[in-house]
Amino acid sequence: MNNNFFPNLWRFLGLVAVQVLLLKQLTVSVGEYFNILLYPLFILFLPMQLATPYLVLMGFAVGLTVDFFYPSIGVHASAGAFSGFFRFIVFAMFAPKGGYSGKEPIFSPAHMGWQLFLQVSALFFLGHLFWYFSVDDFTVVYFGTVTLKTFFGWVLTMIFVWLYTAMFNPKN
Amino acid sequence: MGKILQLLLRNGGFVTLVLVEAFCFFLIVQFNERQNAIFTHSAGILAGGTLEKRQQFADYIGLRERMDSLSKINARLQTDLANARIVKIPRRDTSYIALFDSLNRTDSVRRKVMRPLYEYYTATVISNSISSANNWLMINRGSKDQITPNMAVVTNNGIVGIVRHVDPNFSMVMSVLHRQAKISVALSRFNSFGSLIWEGGDPNVMTLKYIPKHFAVKPGDEVVTSGFSQMFPRKILIGHVEGDIAQDPENPYFLVMKVRLSQDMSTVGDVYVVKNIFQPEQDSIQVKVRDEQ
Repeated sequence: MNNNFFPNLWRFLGLVAVQVLLLKQLTVSVGEYFNILLYPLFILFLPMQLATPYLVLMGFAVGLTVDFFYPSIGVHASAGAFSGFFRFIVFAMFAPKGGYSGKEPIFSPAHMGWQLFLQVSALFFLGHLFWYFSVDDFTVVYFGTVTLKTFFGWVLTMIFVWLYTAMFNPKN
Repeated sequence: MGKILQLLLRNGGFVTLVLVEAFCFFLIVQFNERQNAIFTHSAGILAGGTLEKRQQFADYIGLRERMDSLSKINARLQTDLANARIVKIPRRDTSYIALFDSLNRTDSVRRKVMRPLYEYYTATVISNSISSANNWLMINRGSKDQITPNMAVVTNNGIVGIVRHVDPNFSMVMSVLHRQAKISVALSRFNSFGSLIWEGGDPNVMTLKYIPKHFAVKPGDEVVTSGFSQMFPRKILIGHVEGDIAQDPENPYFLVMKVRLSQDMSTVGDVYVVKNIFQPEQDSIQVKVRDEQ
């Protein structure tokens, strides 16, 4: 846990900074369908062994931090907490026969390979974005809009996920 | 799928998620104007709908009770109305004289104290027939409820019959659809009285006889109680004249006509039993003249 602490802390700070300084501005200047949410990568890259309740709380923490800058107190926090739990489900769905070996510190291409990583992250970000836009609109009336926003946001986000991961290739 | 569910149950993650999401929900509604507006609006609709449903349910549950109390109020109003009609009768009318309480006539000042002439009791029909030649109804009131034979039974729409047999809890009412029933009625347009009888057949139509033939009766004329029977109060609507008005073949000085009842006898439910307070007195004075006939 201790040797994982600082990489995760830097990721937390770096992703939040990129999110609120760069990606938020993109949405503001380009339009409401141009949403890139990169900060959930922090949740995805949390240690494999971390128990789900902690994942939920960490997701809540990173979401709430982003919320302070957006400002939309609670909306990103809700999506973050959901993603913490959702990561647990996605990992279980893609688990190899007999479960994970326990040797991989985090779920990154360096340990899992690019194919599995992209599959998992695609589903993970789809869940996160859909939850986020649903909570943001806060009503079932705009279900169509939510779906569209999710789709566009998801395509754009996945590009950035690939860019970020290829650039930093995190190992722990 | 089963594997996922098993993992869910074994882990406290789901509980944490629910708690954190509940907190997020609170944060969102508390700090975001747009979501707060949506929440307030939706909660309003939900609460309003629930309250309305609850009220509707409570109203429905209380319906029987309210109907009973309304019936009682109605009985009282009917009593007042029946007595109010009597008050309008000119002073020379004997019924009017009866309204003055003789005990209250003191030496010099004649105090006009009104005395009620009729009392209405509520009752419900628990059995009814309209298809026989002689029809009867049973009501859920009897001698315990101060019902006595020869009380009139009426509804808000018309007349029903006359109480004949009284048990402690139930009474048998001779329907107006009975061969022996003969109701003293009047045509309200002429104030001319006659007798209403039932000759069988259509349970909504009765026959009116003994209207002198010089009255130009027309279909649609209103038929009301005459008040002469000492049972039915005056001017209760019975029905309207219908069809041809013919000369009575048995008695050429009178007319005979059909009357369509305003109270459908097949749908009689809640009724009022009418007590004429002065009936014993009226009966005893009638007995005196019977000997002289």
